[in-house]
Amino acid sequence: MATKLLPVVKLATKVGIAGGAVYVAYDSGLLGGSEQGSEALRKARAAVPPAIEEWMKYFGLQTQLPTIPNVEFSPVQAWNSGVRWTISRLSEAPTKASEMTTQGFQFVKNLLK
Amino acid sequence: MADEYGRKWDRCLADTAVKTVTGLGVGVVFSVLFFKRRTWPVSFGSGLGLGMGYSNCQHDFRLPYLIHGRTVKDQ
Repeated sequence: MATKLLPVVKLATKVGIAGGAVYVAYDSGLLGGSEQGSEALRKARAAVPPAIEEWMKYFGLQTQLPTIPNVEFSPVQAWNSGVRWTISRLSEAPTKASEMTTQGFQFVKNLLK
Repeated sequence: MADEYGRKWDRCLADTAVKTVTGLGVGVVFSVLFFKRRTWPVSFGSGLGLGMGYSNCQHDFRLPYLIHGRTVKDQ
């Protein structure tokens, strides 16, 4: 009786754990819309440092985590300024090319004098 | 309007990251419990999460342009 029941109990436990994992994911809004997902990420980011501190206290490790340096770099602004620079150089290119050609011709003329 | 566009992108990327990681986690659970620690449930789960995130992003960006029509019945 017990030997027949054991596989059933094992399967029921596995299904329970897997179903529980899916339910927890659904219940915390991880499988919902964009707003819920980004809200969940915000909550997780807010909860991580205190949780790490608590775990470190629990294990007796009182070391100070290095603070994340506040980098004043915006990829969006860097990209936009790069695009602006490229386009302005491209728009000036014909004028600059003709100026440099004129200067080159003048230089060669002066050399041949 | 540019701010709203940037906010949409932020929301989209955060949501996609969360869903991919959730799918990965659920895939790991299923892999360990039912599929003898094979890799494919993990890949399947994270792919599922990525796809859900992509679909949400697509809907979010198309939202202002979605037209909802109604059929008016003749009375």
